[in-house]
Amino acid sequence: MPPGRSILSKLALLGLFLAPLAFAAEDAREPVVIKDPQYGEVLYYFYQEDYFPAIVRLLAARQQGQLDDHAEEAELLLGGMYLSYGHHLEAAAIFENLLAGNVAPELRNRTWFFLAKIWYQRGYLDKAREALGFIDGDLPQNLRSEASMLDAQIRIAAGDYDSAIARLSDWDDPTEWASYARFNVGVALVRSGRVSEAVALLDEIGRMEPFSEELAALRDKANLALGYALLQDGQPYAAKEPLQRVRLEGPFSNKALLGVGWADAEMNNYSRALVPWMELRGRDLLDPAVQESMLAIPYAMSQLDSISQAADHYLNAIEAFYEEANRIDQAIERIESGDFFERFFEGDRLDSTGWYWSLEDLPRGPETNYLYHLLATNKFQEGLKNYRDLRYLLRNLDTWRDNVDVYDTMLDTQKQKYARSLAYVEKSLLRTDLEDLVRQKLVLDAVLNNIQQSRDWLALSTQSEFDLWTEITKIESNPALQADLDEAREVRDKIDLLKGVLQWNLERDFNERLTGVAYELQDTGAALIEAQRARRKIDDAMRTEPARYAALSKRVDGLSPRIDGIAMRVDEALGRQRAFLQEIAIDELQVQKERLDVYMIQARFALAAIYDIAATSEEEASE
Amino acid sequence: MTKTFITIIAATLLALGGFAVAQDAAPIESDAVTEAAREAAAEEARSREAFRSLDEDVQTLKKEVLDLNRDLFLLEEELLFPANSQVAFFVSMDVGEYFEIDSVQLKIDGKEVANYLYTAREADALARGGVHRLHMANLKTGEHEFVAIFTGKGPHTRDYRRGATTVFDKGIGAKYFELEITDRVKKQQPEFIVKEWE
Repeated sequence: MPPGRSILSKLALLGLFLAPLAFAAEDAREPVVIKDPQYGEVLYYFYQEDYFPAIVRLLAARQQGQLDDHAEEAELLLGGMYLSYGHHLEAAAIFENLLAGNVAPELRNRTWFFLAKIWYQRGYLDKAREALGFIDGDLPQNLRSEASMLDAQIRIAAGDYDSAIARLSDWDDPTEWASYARFNVGVALVRSGRVSEAVALLDEIGRMEPFSEELAALRDKANLALGYALLQDGQPYAAKEPLQRVRLEGPFSNKALLGVGWADAEMNNYSRALVPWMELRGRDLLDPAVQESMLAIPYAMSQLDSISQAADHYLNAIEAFYEEANRIDQAIERIESGDFFERFFEGDRLDSTGWYWSLEDLPRGPETNYLYHLLATNKFQEGLKNYRDLRYLLRNLDTWRDNVDVYDTMLDTQKQKYARSLAYVEKSLLRTDLEDLVRQKLVLDAVLNNIQQSRDWLALSTQSEFDLWTEITKIESNPALQADLDEAREVRDKIDLLKGVLQWNLERDFNERLTGVAYELQDTGAALIEAQRARRKIDDAMRTEPARYAALSKRVDGLSPRIDGIAMRVDEALGRQRAFLQEIAIDELQVQKERLDVYMIQARFALAAIYDIAATSEEEASE
Repeated sequence: MTKTFITIIAATLLALGGFAVAQDAAPIESDAVTEAAREAAAEEARSREAFRSLDEDVQTLKKEVLDLNRDLFLLEEELLFPANSQVAFFVSMDVGEYFEIDSVQLKIDGKEVANYLYTAREADALARGGVHRLHMANLKTGEHEFVAIFTGKGPHTRDYRRGATTVFDKGIGAKYFELEITDRVKKQQPEFIVKEWE
């Protein structure tokens, strides 16, 4: 077998959760030789990242006892592949047993960290905390920061705000993680009721000098939150500064522009407020800030006594909101019909499962536009992975269901063939008395033994030699040859000579002939032993085959109900998973719809007020 | 009107929760702010529990489907290739120099039974230590012969075509052959070495 890679490198190769450094380090290790071909076969699929068939082969080989030479590394590999397959609970069960003594601490710690992250993302807070607890010793710096952050996030999510604040407050990391930590302290402070402390923290983050795009976004977010907090607290002048610190182009710029406008409006500077709000007019109407600006603009205009213009803007806004609300209703209907989620998998080969699948292209359509932010969240992405995995399972079960009929036919064919062979074999066995043949062979052994003991050279003569000898002895016994005559004497001498020559030849060839016959008898014995062995096998087969076929039939018969049972539950889980995704998508759309409804009411109310003022003015003028 | 507008946007900001990179913090002093943040957190917790419950079911189903696949894999093998007559041929590679396998052809007792073309992904898996099960057969006890031929490209895109012939005696019980492509014997000359397992 070719040298494979070490156990550790196989685990290291498992995927994204390990940094490239680990690959290089592990690959440099002494290779191990693959001793079981089945293990090599597992690796063949594993290296192609076909985890499902690799796991199936590994489980099958393990059950057959074919991985004895690779037991531990196969188990570790299985754990790693379970992770890739998205089977995190089983993976963890293996790692709990094996990681402690088998792998380098760094790799073990990385694995637990990765599991903690998965569990946090999937809502297993207790298990995530437990996994972090298994980390023993140092992680690399970047992971150490992320692990500490993860620990704090788990605490925040579990409502344990004080301990999260305590953990994050003394963060002395020089990287961007320190900023994230401060931000998360802010979150925990707000949730634990210490709002004014959170504000101070936001101001600090909002003034930092970002050295990456992520940090710039974090800074924008902090400034935005702070600006709105100050606005809400009636401090529009103070609110402007953080809001103006938000970049003009970016995910938070619309909200910041809106806020800056409100700050000016709060200070009664409506013409100035119109500047950022008018800038928002040309931007994406799906953004709530842009929607709100459509009301803010006429509000400012009405304050500036441009009543007619304000009325036009309110009318435009009502129309736009109405159309948008209708489109959202249609989007909700499409999501409820289930088509929306199927479109995520159009063109998907569905050839794998697990973590490493990700959406490459979002489905086109209005729903996607409304749900863009939701689709990017962990909750939706992980839910979508589960949904896709369930579809994969269902397809796998469908394929097997088709195969069951084939197995049934195959087994029937084999049974029929066996029945035909059995009839033929039984007939042949009746014709052949093997025991009698053995008895005959034993008799022949005894005869040969006697011949050897008595050196019975005549017994090994050929038929012609024997006939000649018989002829000679017959002539010799002729009474006429006993006469005392010269002729008779001459014949007797010739007979003696002939007998002597014949005996001489037979005695000369005796040993060779004896050996030849002994060999033939030996071959016959071997053939008889082989025949006896074959007979025993036939007897065994006749005894065991019916039982084997019965067992196979039982297994095949049990397949359909088993497949149907699992398929039913997978289908049901698929429905629940779809409902879950539908619910969070529709909830998101409902929020947008409700916001538009509120805006519409406000616009109508404002418009009515304008008309009322206008009517009153006209009445006053006419009076 | 002003305050209403601001409240709507601020509530949106507050409702976001969770990880630092993906969420907003909260504004100033008032119990309402904390209350809103806590409500958002409670909603997150409910959603998290719902997700976990579904995920646990998915985990159970994944295990059951894997177990089923394992059982079916074994059943299929037992049905198609009973242990007594089973012969399996595996292909592996142990080539130090660059060598890219194209195909392997296998003939048993003069009859072609496999002619496998490797994709780049499969060839890579072989080069990294994977073992490919090329063919499974049912053979009667007694003497048999197989001929294996591989083709591929070595350094400087030189074409290689090498073969090996093996006569073997099939007894009772499964027999496994490994057709290893190696350059250990003649340096930089890949060729087959046939190994046998009982």
